[in-house]
Amino acid sequence: MSSWKSLLLRLGEKCPEYAGNADFKDQIEACYSAVRRELEHSGDDIFPFLLQCAEQLPHKIPLYGTLVGLLNLENEEFVAKLVENAQINLQDALETGKCNKIRILMRFLTVLMCSKVIQPSALVVIFECLLSSSATTVDEEKGIPSWQARADFYITCILSCLPWGGAELVEQVPEEIERVMVGVEAYLSIRKRVSDAGFSVFEDIEETNNAVNEKDFLEDLWSRVQDLSSREWKLDSVPRPHLSFEAQLVAGKSHDLAPVSCPEQPGPSGVLSGIAFGRQKHEAELKYPQRIRRLNIFPSNKTEDIQPIDRFVVEEYLLDVLLFLNGCRKECTSYMVGLPVPFRYEYLMAETIFSQLLLLPQPPFKPTYYTLVIIDLCKALPGAFPAVVAGAVRALFDKIADLDMECRTRLILWFSHHLSNFQFIWPWEEWAHVLDLPKWAPQRVFVQEVLEREVRLSYWDKIKQSIENTPALEELLPPRGGPQFKYSEEDGTDPTERALSVELKDMVKGRKSAREMISWVEENVFPAHGFDITLRVVVQTLLDIGSKSFTHLITVLERYGQVIAKICTDDDQQVKLISEVSSYWQNSAQMTAISIDRMMSYRLISNLAIVRWVFSSSNLDRFHVSDSPWEILRNAVSKTYNRISDLRKEISSLERSVVLAEEAASRARDQLDSAESKLSIMDGEPVLGENPVRIKRLKSYAEKAKEEEVSVRESLEAKEALLARAVDEIKVLILSLYKGFLTALAEPLNDAFRDGTLRPSGQADEMNIDLEDSSVMDLDKDDGGRPKKSYSHPNGSREINGYNLDGKQQWCLSTLGYLKAFTRQYASEIWQNIEKLDAEVLTEDAHPLFRKAIYCGLRRPLDE
Amino acid sequence: MASLFKDLAKISAYRDRRFSGTQEEFEDALLKSTTVYVGNMSFYTTEEQVYELFSHAGEIKKIVMGLDKNSKTPCGFCFVIFYSRDDTEDSVKYISGTILDDRPIRVDFDWGFQEGRQWGRGRSGGQVRGEYRTDYDPDILLLGGYGKLVQKELEAQRQLVDYGTGSLGAYPPVMPPPPCKRGGNHGHGGSYRQGRDYHRKRHREDDHHRSDYPKRSYDRESRRISNHESRPEKNPRFRESGDSDEEEDDDRKRRT
Repeated sequence: MSSWKSLLLRLGEKCPEYAGNADFKDQIEACYSAVRRELEHSGDDIFPFLLQCAEQLPHKIPLYGTLVGLLNLENEEFVAKLVENAQINLQDALETGKCNKIRILMRFLTVLMCSKVIQPSALVVIFECLLSSSATTVDEEKGIPSWQARADFYITCILSCLPWGGAELVEQVPEEIERVMVGVEAYLSIRKRVSDAGFSVFEDIEETNNAVNEKDFLEDLWSRVQDLSSREWKLDSVPRPHLSFEAQLVAGKSHDLAPVSCPEQPGPSGVLSGIAFGRQKHEAELKYPQRIRRLNIFPSNKTEDIQPIDRFVVEEYLLDVLLFLNGCRKECTSYMVGLPVPFRYEYLMAETIFSQLLLLPQPPFKPTYYTLVIIDLCKALPGAFPAVVAGAVRALFDKIADLDMECRTRLILWFSHHLSNFQFIWPWEEWAHVLDLPKWAPQRVFVQEVLEREVRLSYWDKIKQSIENTPALEELLPPRGGPQFKYSEEDGTDPTERALSVELKDMVKGRKSAREMISWVEENVFPAHGFDITLRVVVQTLLDIGSKSFTHLITVLERYGQVIAKICTDDDQQVKLISEVSSYWQNSAQMTAISIDRMMSYRLISNLAIVRWVFSSSNLDRFHVSDSPWEILRNAVSKTYNRISDLRKEISSLERSVVLAEEAASRARDQLDSAESKLSIMDGEPVLGENPVRIKRLKSYAEKAKEEEVSVRESLEAKEALLARAVDEIKVLILSLYKGFLTALAEPLNDAFRDGTLRPSGQADEMNIDLEDSSVMDLDKDDGGRPKKSYSHPNGSREINGYNLDGKQQWCLSTLGYLKAFTRQYASEIWQNIEKLDAEVLTEDAHPLFRKAIYCGLRRPLDE
Repeated sequence: MASLFKDLAKISAYRDRRFSGTQEEFEDALLKSTTVYVGNMSFYTTEEQVYELFSHAGEIKKIVMGLDKNSKTPCGFCFVIFYSRDDTEDSVKYISGTILDDRPIRVDFDWGFQEGRQWGRGRSGGQVRGEYRTDYDPDILLLGGYGKLVQKELEAQRQLVDYGTGSLGAYPPVMPPPPCKRGGNHGHGGSYRQGRDYHRKRHREDDHHRSDYPKRSYDRESRRISNHESRPEKNPRFRESGDSDEEEDDDRKRRT
């Protein structure tokens, strides 16, 4: 990398490029003189790179802005080009809805304004453009209020610029900026407060309607900005290097900025009703998502004492580093720990990362990315960060009963993976008390599921060793693995079945074909022993042969899957097949899940059969004590969904190929036509057509191009047909999934929550419930003073948030939690089929809590 | 996203000498591949552990354990094949350099095989009875040259002494896995691991009630079932040479 490049890239860092000098002023001067020298011959390389640095390392934007200010003194033309480009990029980002680009380019323009590169009024024009578009959007008559997410985003962008240039704007264009602020305030008064329902990490289980009184994200930002304004726009988190160069910078010529325009409204204006509104709102929120939902898990005496606006700025820095340095481990870590702020921020950093890991409906990256970031930060800050992470884990553990189900699953996966990177060391004794809780207590289930995942990543003995100082927790370890082959022992099994199994094993050893095996089954086994025995013998035996590893399993399924397919042709039979698999692998939740997943891959089991099996009576009892049935259900739905999303991707790429192929074909045709129509002289006579050799060649090109076009079209049609089928399939799956939930929940909900709210009905002792542990009612006493948020009820005798819920109530809460999680994750597909769901599942007599879980997951207003 | 720091040349830091095409074709294959090479694994890491860890990146299609040529036991590397390219990239980005079974593993793109190229599929790509997530017929996986290809790949990997440390550079030096070629001569790994792994191995055997896991039975069993009925000559994974015990015994006799 040439030296001006690395100086630009490393600007603001303590690094060898600047000989370890971390002074911003010195660095900017050094960088400036290096870049200035290059302007002559590589100016065209410099400005794209400079823009790229500013866009991708936005925490350093003030430094880049000052640098551009200095270059503006030297070479106005160069800077004019850079400004023009930034404006074009912004316009493009607005049109294509690239949120991050819009936000960051606006910050960059603000900083350029601070360095006298652009007119303050030009910036205000951009603000006003966004403001007026936003105001129009939320207008009930002229606008399209379902797209409020976009309007809110635009306003967020305006407010986000103020920490970087508020002081300058107020100083230079006080009236204009005041007008903008008034406009924002007016906007805030006409928009609707955004409810967090469905996306909040902690469930507002008491329905205290706190949410209604709480500020939403935009109102919160507004109050932070107002606070900033009351401090005369002074803050600690934004470096202001331009001040060191003020005397020089004033001499610069401020450029004007072409105005930008916001994209048209994405549909006809006016208020839509019900479903149409919900669909559009869903779409808008997907395109313009909220970046962060603060967790506030640390007690305020622990977190850093930071001004409200500084907290916002540091969160922006951290989120941008996470976004732009994704995939660059070293840089990501070093920027995370080395932000240009004069205060410590470990707690804020941990909370921000956890807020992303747990962000609903989806974090911007796979959860495992945040696992990696946390690992790297623990290594980079060994004295500070691990303790903060442990604090976050404890805080989340204390509130686990309130935690959204999806977040619990993510937390379990993260925590077990994290511990596997740190020798599985954790002070388990702190959590030994979960053994006193009933087996469905969320904290106990959490510990048990973490141990389960640890064992999967490692091995049983190792994990047992890791909990050595709390041996009682061994009770929560999963069984020690190993398959349960029905025919391994002489005694206890039916000798006939065992003989058949031996015979089958011999056929496999003898490398008999699947066809031979099928005829053996059809002639010798099925007629004499019937379906149940045939299924048991074949499935147990084949699974046993494939039990050694994942590869063994797929090998046996690839080879003999057809034998199973022949036996289990309908869903009923496939449900029995799944039961047999789960019985064989009863000691290994992982192998059960993998086997079922593979069988679905090879279409031996349909997704509908899996749904039916998960909701069958043998599993219902486990819903609140184990993640295992849910894991299997998640796999089945996600496999179905992945297929659709793969096909959509392929189709969109094929559509592009079709366009290209069409162009190529028509070009080739044109060339041929023009060559054929040319007159040429042959043997003194004028003949139509060019030289025959060339004509022949062109003809063959044209034919080939046409063939190619036809072939791409055929592929596209084939894929579209597959997609149509897959879409039908997911429709059926969704319906059966919700009917499964409906049927499973109906009775328990009516028993446990008769009045339709989360207030449990009656006293536990009046209810016909199976109390696994009679000590459950005494748990209040041995809580050991752990911090616990508790909500007391009018009758004073029950808590919903503690562990004195009975089994049935917890069962309902867990199942509703999973229902909400599924709904949220597949909301896009569900919105497509909502009419059907309304008609067949969300009927009049659906329990209010059941309805609420689904509405919440869809973020559909309950009062619609 | 972060194009500033992505060294694009890095994707081809090594060049697989078995790859027949040009450097450009090789890089192109790496850019499209859904296969990753996983190195520096413990010899005792199982496929299920790999499955659990790599599922964090996405849905897994296959895992191919690298086996020692002589002892037919796992020798510290494997291939993981995903369904989607995005998931493949994520596994390289997020899993490389993390710990699996107490060892920092490395994950790199592998040129694998190019979908469709070897299988001569029809252009419609729409077999009716196919694997769920993709449209390929599972039998084709077995019939095609895939097994052979993987075998060749494994052979080639063994010869790649210097796989570099790449992204692991920032961490304490990684113990290179003992060269597999000689794996058979000194039992399970080098002596430096003997102590730690000895107990573990015994425990795992107990778990499985199997006398010699993961030694020979690992190989023998899967070989038995993996010969496809309609294509009897070759087994799809690992074992191109030494296809039967007898051959191997003969081989050994000849050498001694």
